Amino acid sequence: MGAILEVKGVKKSFGGVEAIKDISLEVQKGSVTGLIGPNGSGKTTLFNVIAGFYKPDAGQVVFDGQRIDGLNPNEIYNLGLARTFQNPRLFPSMTTLENLMLSPKGQKGESLLKAPLKRLWVDEELKHASEVQELMSKIEIGDLYKTTVADLSGGDTKMVETSKGILGGAKLILLDEPTAGVQYVSGRSVFEHVNMLRKEYNLTFLVIEHRIDLLFDFTDYVYVLDMGEVLSKGKPQEVSKNPEVIKAYMGGA
Amino acid sequence: MVDVVSFLSSWLTLFGIYAILALCLDMEVGYTGMANTGLVSFFGIGSFVAGYISLTVFLSFFGYSYPIYSLDAVIAIGKISGSNPFLSIGVFLMSLVVAFVVSGTVGYLVSYPTLRVGPAFLGITILSFGEMLRIFMKHFTPTGGSYGLLGIPGPFGWVSEPSVKAVLFLALTLAILATVYLYFQTLSNSPYGRMLRSIREDEVASLCMGKPVPRIKAQLLFVGSGISGIAGSLLAFYQGSVSPDMFTTAVTFEVWSMVILGGRGNNRGALVGAAIISLLGWSSSALNFYLPGLVVDPNYIRWMLMGAVIVIILLYQPKGLVPEKPVQTKAWSLFETKEEKGILRKAETAVKRAFSWLAGRSYK
Repeated sequence: MGAILEVKGVKKSFGGVEAIKDISLEVQKGSVTGLIGPNGSGKTTLFNVIAGFYKPDAGQVVFDGQRIDGLNPNEIYNLGLARTFQNPRLFPSMTTLENLMLSPKGQKGESLLKAPLKRLWVDEELKHASEVQELMSKIEIGDLYKTTVADLSGGDTKMVETSKGILGGAKLILLDEPTAGVQYVSGRSVFEHVNMLRKEYNLTFLVIEHRIDLLFDFTDYVYVLDMGEVLSKGKPQEVSKNPEVIKAYMGGA
Repeated sequence: MVDVVSFLSSWLTLFGIYAILALCLDMEVGYTGMANTGLVSFFGIGSFVAGYISLTVFLSFFGYSYPIYSLDAVIAIGKISGSNPFLSIGVFLMSLVVAFVVSGTVGYLVSYPTLRVGPAFLGITILSFGEMLRIFMKHFTPTGGSYGLLGIPGPFGWVSEPSVKAVLFLALTLAILATVYLYFQTLSNSPYGRMLRSIREDEVASLCMGKPVPRIKAQLLFVGSGISGIAGSLLAFYQGSVSPDMFTTAVTFEVWSMVILGGRGNNRGALVGAAIISLLGWSSSALNFYLPGLVVDPNYIRWMLMGAVIVIILLYQPKGLVPEKPVQTKAWSLFETKEEKGILRKAETAVKRAFSWLAGRSYK
């Protein structure tokens, strides 16, 4: 074990609004780490900083021993750090299969010069397709390959989004509220799949989640953010007893 | 009486040229979602490059030193244009290559600042770039100012029979169109095409999946503009003359209406749209010629018709006459079970689809 992601003293403000005042956190390799906090506490901004959408005003982001703050989102993805969005951002009018086939990185057929010559990329394409097929049957969406993503259910959409990171060879996946917009009962199955995928592919997850019951059962460590700062950290059971957390998060005890 | 051969050859040649443009625009707008509103400038650059090169090469080859836009040059070209078949074809091929490179490079350079400011700005910047270029060319003497270039020697200047010449040029245009079509068709069915569609669907998500979006857009503007330049040089050789006022913004929107009519994100649709709109254009100018003295100039009705076509299509068939289908790349074959591949199964699906279409529902 060791930290796969380290955020050191990151600050980010938009105009006069300090979205992130000062956040430092570590994500251990192979863990599922939770990130909770009330609205406006800087969770999604932090995700955007890690994934390369914003440059931090100060501080460093270190992924797998390499500084990644200041890189472009596509470069960060290619290093093995994938993210999902709170409102899933897939390619709605394309089929599930096409969506997933986009994930493997460095595809030969994606170069303008090689694309017209089919024999240069067709073997690689079939190899990726069989990987996709295997993964789709693991997360139980194998028969949905020709459904357009716009027609998938909420839970399936979240799973497709997570799978994309896996197919891209990600080591760490940032999940932004994987159970938002998913019915109460399916929320658990989303996390069960996350847990299964973690073991199967040696993944690490950093998850923004509001459902305390799921955090209790599935996360190893939790950071609580409030007003752009880390309010508390620890095992979920310990954190939930912290009176400060209860005050900030549940609006007073 | 309308001469069938000359009707077909003139319509099909214009169709060929516009279809190449429509394919390029469809690649940019339909597949990638880049609103290229300045297509005409690359088309125009291509035709001026072709005109300039062929006139300069011919005049210097035969030892004349007139400026290319002068009347003397036009007369001299008239004497020499048919004398050397190898020179004619060689100059033609060279012009196509240079037109591709020059238009493509300009497209690439235009993309550089514009792609960094968002899609709406891309539209307005390229639109105004096209207009500025046209006005500049009107006052730029080395290419003849507002008169443009006249007497451009075509690749078949050495053929004496005009109808044979027209048919030969038509064959050449259609051959180039077929090549462009096949190229774009393979491109759109490859992982590259899949990536382009992902950019159209959601640029940010595509970036998050490691696709270098700005670079791909610039690449595509290079290829698309370059091929538009080839279409432009075909127009220059077909008409034998080019002037800046041929390349108004209206041409861009004519090509846009082809793509809207045919169906975006779909190469076949671009061809259908180009066929219909170019027929409309041809027949309005033919009407003007065969039925002179009409109260209203048919050319004006043509623009109204085109507007009506766009409105009707967007209301009743927003995906165009040939809607985009999910692309079945090679990966698909792994998933389809044997049953689904069977001919009976296919027939069954087709019948079901027909019924649900009749019932007004979409088949899934």
